[in-house]
Amino acid sequence: MTSSGTGAQQLPRTEARSLSGHEGAVLAVRFNRDGNYCLSCGKDRTLRLWNPHTGAHVKTYKSHAREVRDVHSSSDNAKLVSCGADRQIFYWDVASGRVIRKFRGHNSEVNSVKFNEYNAVVVSAGYDRTVRAFDCRSQSSDPIQTIDTFQDSVMSVNLTKTEIIAGSVDGTVRAFDIRMGRETVDNLGHPVNCVSLSNDSNCLLANCLDSTVRLLDKSSGELLQEYKGHTCKSFKMDSCLTNDDAFVVGGSEDGYIFFWELVDAPVVARFRAHSSVVTSISYHPTKACMLTSSVDGSIRVWT
Amino acid sequence: MGVDSDDEDLVVYGTPIEREEDTSARKRRAVAEAGQLRALPAWKQEVRDEEGRRRFHGAFTGGFSAGFYNTVGSKEGWTPQTFTSSRKNRAELTKQSIYNFLDEEDIKDMGGNALETSQQYDTFGFTAAEHARKQASKEQKERPSAIPGPIPDELVVPTKNSIGVTLLMKMGWRQGRSVRDSHADSLYESRRNARKAFLALSGAKDDEDQDQSAENSSLDKAVVGSVEEIPVSGNTPVYVLHPKEDFHGLGYDPFKHAPEFRDRKTLQKSKERDHKRNDASMRGNLLISNSGHYAPGFGIGALEELDAEDEDIYASGFAYERTEVDIEPSKAASDSNYKLDDRKRGFYLNFKIASNSEYKLERFLPPEIPDAFDAQHKFPTPVQSTEKFSDSAPLEVPPPEDTSLTLLIDGCAAMVARCGKHIEDFYKEKSKTNPQFLFLSGGDGCDYYMRKLWEHQQKHIGQQRHDSAKSKTSSDKLTAENRGKILGERPLDRTTKLHSPSLSAKDAVQLQSNLIDTFVKPISLDGLPESEKPFSNDLAKQVRFEQFLRDKYKGGLRAANVTPTSTMSEADRARERLDFEAAAEAIEKGKGKKVIDPSSVFSLPGMNEQRFVAATQPESSVVIQDEKPIYPQREQFEWRPSPILCKRFDIVDPFMGKPMPVRRPRSKMENLIFMTESNKGTKDEVESSSRSSQHASMEGVADVESQGATNDTDFEPSSLQRPVDLYKAIFSDDSGDDVDEILSNQPVDPVKTSEGANMALNRLVAEDFLESLGKELGLEVPPERPHVSSQPEKHLAAGASLPSQDERITTVLTKVKENQSYIGMVQVGNINEDIPLASAETLGMKYEKQENRTEKNRSLPMHRQSQNHSPRSDSSSERHRSWKRRSHHHIRNGTPESESSGERHRSRRRKKSHSRHRKGRSRSPDSDSPSDTQRERKRKEKRHRRTYTSDTDSSDHEHMERHKSSSRRSSDKDRSRKHPIHHKHRRRDHVNYS
Repeated sequence: MTSSGTGAQQLPRTEARSLSGHEGAVLAVRFNRDGNYCLSCGKDRTLRLWNPHTGAHVKTYKSHAREVRDVHSSSDNAKLVSCGADRQIFYWDVASGRVIRKFRGHNSEVNSVKFNEYNAVVVSAGYDRTVRAFDCRSQSSDPIQTIDTFQDSVMSVNLTKTEIIAGSVDGTVRAFDIRMGRETVDNLGHPVNCVSLSNDSNCLLANCLDSTVRLLDKSSGELLQEYKGHTCKSFKMDSCLTNDDAFVVGGSEDGYIFFWELVDAPVVARFRAHSSVVTSISYHPTKACMLTSSVDGSIRVWT
Repeated sequence: MGVDSDDEDLVVYGTPIEREEDTSARKRRAVAEAGQLRALPAWKQEVRDEEGRRRFHGAFTGGFSAGFYNTVGSKEGWTPQTFTSSRKNRAELTKQSIYNFLDEEDIKDMGGNALETSQQYDTFGFTAAEHARKQASKEQKERPSAIPGPIPDELVVPTKNSIGVTLLMKMGWRQGRSVRDSHADSLYESRRNARKAFLALSGAKDDEDQDQSAENSSLDKAVVGSVEEIPVSGNTPVYVLHPKEDFHGLGYDPFKHAPEFRDRKTLQKSKERDHKRNDASMRGNLLISNSGHYAPGFGIGALEELDAEDEDIYASGFAYERTEVDIEPSKAASDSNYKLDDRKRGFYLNFKIASNSEYKLERFLPPEIPDAFDAQHKFPTPVQSTEKFSDSAPLEVPPPEDTSLTLLIDGCAAMVARCGKHIEDFYKEKSKTNPQFLFLSGGDGCDYYMRKLWEHQQKHIGQQRHDSAKSKTSSDKLTAENRGKILGERPLDRTTKLHSPSLSAKDAVQLQSNLIDTFVKPISLDGLPESEKPFSNDLAKQVRFEQFLRDKYKGGLRAANVTPTSTMSEADRARERLDFEAAAEAIEKGKGKKVIDPSSVFSLPGMNEQRFVAATQPESSVVIQDEKPIYPQREQFEWRPSPILCKRFDIVDPFMGKPMPVRRPRSKMENLIFMTESNKGTKDEVESSSRSSQHASMEGVADVESQGATNDTDFEPSSLQRPVDLYKAIFSDDSGDDVDEILSNQPVDPVKTSEGANMALNRLVAEDFLESLGKELGLEVPPERPHVSSQPEKHLAAGASLPSQDERITTVLTKVKENQSYIGMVQVGNINEDIPLASAETLGMKYEKQENRTEKNRSLPMHRQSQNHSPRSDSSSERHRSWKRRSHHHIRNGTPESESSGERHRSRRRKKSHSRHRKGRSRSPDSDSPSDTQRERKRKEKRHRRTYTSDTDSSDHEHMERHKSSSRRSSDKDRSRKHPIHHKHRRRDHVNYS
């Protein structure tokens, strides 16, 4: 408890700056791999690249025809991938701001998108109950793999080196192990909003729509802990672990940010960050820094 | 023209009319020439146009229809355009006319009708003036004039006004005046007259029209105002001040009875206007939604519609709901309206709105209800009295002796029944003194009267009911009762009789019991409440049923906890719900019928027992596991990542690119034959019998067995590929394979390699089968001693597993023997019965076997011949092979000639291949088990032999040369290393092929 106490002291709770520029709700904000830059996207159909540490707005990427729901940058910071309600996945060149390719295949809105380790594959999850993998190295815009075992909209997808992990509104978190050729289904009984991984990749954090964040052991499927106190009933909201895996961070529909201690699940800290729904949270990969975005159109940097 | 020699029957009178163009000399010549041309050979004929000019030219003389009538190359032909730089002199906008594209001929075709502008509807008379001027000049030319020379144009005046000017002049307009003046005045005049007339008329009417007239007068005033406002000189058009902007019908005023909303609407309109004006400033703040609740931002794609997904779900928290009453559908205000509004504003500067409206709404108070008013209305009609009567029917009494009294009572009762109680009172009052009517007041025959009266009343009521029923459902079908009534039959009064206490209770019970006896097994009356519980033997279900009933009759939204049994599947729940529905309906029906028809009620429990109770039995297990499932639940399935995905993730494909296990067979037949037979075969094989000969391929069989037993499904798709494989193995030549070997540099895939080996062995099994066939056909086939003995260490290395496997092979052979008797007759059945092969090999077998059969049918003597040859060949198996090979030749070219050379060649080749293989086996790093090597060697060997046969007939030496060179090219060592690769590659080859 003392360690958590000291850890709690370092939690990013003071607002360093606010990144303004988005018109309308910001739906996702993501640090890049090294945490020097961040990407945001929102209902104004743009992607924006920021330097969250100086507050500089670097670039705006416009091509989406509808709201942009998720964005991810490649590990070499050369490419971006974004998805949204226009059913296409955009593969961008960061420097030129041009769309290199558009991946088609989803039949409806795409909720989440991620690069794999080697930036060769883009995996997306969509409202059409599928997870699709696209090959960045080929000229084809068609998926190389379609996973359609989900029963409802797939909200979030995450990749490890060998696995595709996706959470769906049908209440399941499905892990597709490419190395083993196994599909592991963890039924949580409640719609899953967001799936994130612990930094050691042993635990899964699933944000469920019954206002509960659940921590699962990835290998056994065991429910390790439940984190409650916030409100999450109807919006896609992120939750994640801090970079030292000591705390769980989650947003609330009333604009609050919650910090839970990982093991015992008490609310360590709680403060009002936004005036409205906190849509996305991104934690800095190394430093005690956090980004939050909200429906009110603001992105805030917390240190 | 004229009479054709062909139609001699046709008689033509008179001379044909010659068309004018035919007379053209050139044309005539052309026709004449055409006749000549036709006589020429095709290459000399020329195409000419109707003028007889040559139409087509060679490439050197201008190509197809060159230039303007063959002028290309001539002096007056086209000259290429000189280049002009478009940099300095830009291309002018050239106006093209149709004459640029027409030649004289075309213009002539047009009949000289040039396109010109007509002067007829020339508004300002310019062309008219021009025309007049021309005419004048023409006249001037014709007649001699005092003034010499042409008259200057200025002197000539237009003689004609345009039609518009003429019309206006006719209407009283004069040059120099504005068009409006007289026009507007007249309009004003006419309007004023009309209003006067209207007022005179409406003076008689009451205030109801006041509103309308007020509207009219205000309109008039507006018009007057506008007329007064407009300066006289201008040609300003009169605007309609109240354009119809809504979607109501003409003259409909939505605010007629609610004037207070009119103000609100105008307010709203002006607000909208303000809103529009502020639009530019608002645009900056996109968060505030301009268009309702849709997400902010710019336009979406043209093909996309706004729908639910565009709704700004987030915005709902901030935006205020518009609560204003919007009576008419919202309308997009156009730009013109906006302008108009501005103008209107200008008019309103002098036009004040009245402080007190002339319009007044007449309101009427509700009628006053007198205090004594009773809201309930009592009917003094017989309906009530009959109800009373029906309650207690008098007992039947014999009529009085006096027949006249009986008649009187009868008639009186009928009268009373028809007209009501008051008639009776009236009679009573009237005939107090009349002794004949004593029965009315309790005298003689009173009982009889009462009885009769009751009877009549019953009859009357019955009739009334029928009438009412008929009037209600007049469109209904003609029922039996209705028909009876129409025909004048006496209604049976069934329903009323059941009511009647005249039927004693005993009778009723008897009737019921009778009914029960006839329809259902007798159930006691206390089963009635049971009928409400059709699921009494399943308490949980009964509880759910009651809940269902409660919900059903409660109405409203379903509670969330209606079905907490999440373990029940959706289908189960639906089925149960159907059951409930049926049960509820049955109960309801029972309730409704209970009064009328007790039998239906009694039958209900029994019916329920049959219909519902049985259905609940299997569900009981479901009900038991009703408790909430514990989350999270983990399940695991097999999942196949696509090979490319694995590659991109840098992971070895866990399934090695094997196809998905579920694939539909091409036809049911295939599935049926292969699957059943392979399974049966494996079973049969287990029971072993004596072994006769050593055989190298038993491992193959064993492998096939195991694979067939464990994953048949994996093998099945390849069944479609194998035949091609076998075929290719027979007829393809080696050199191609060698090239493949060299080319293939893929890493070794152990699974694929073993598969390839299996496949090869399967092929061996097929050969064995053929061998056995040969035996059956009268050829003695000794065991393959020479081959085996050539590598004795191989067998030693194969280990202890050999004997049992050998036994299986023997079984195969014996089975073949058993079945050989009908081998020629039942093709497919045979294949399936004799060889315990995996499905994949069966098809391959079929190929070979068919060949065999044809061979057998065709040339039995040939076998004898080969038998004669047998001493010459070094081994019996060799001989057998030769036979087989020859059979192939027969099928392919039908000549047995090449057999001797083939034989020679083969034996030579075999020796070579043997030695090579031995080396290969000993050195091969990949062959981890001796059995593997053995298998490979065997396979290779056989394949080689087969491949040779394909070439023997055509070019033995050539092939040998080729092969030698190829083998020289790749050293033995190389080859040995590449063997597994080779297998794999071969297999892949086939996959690609098929």
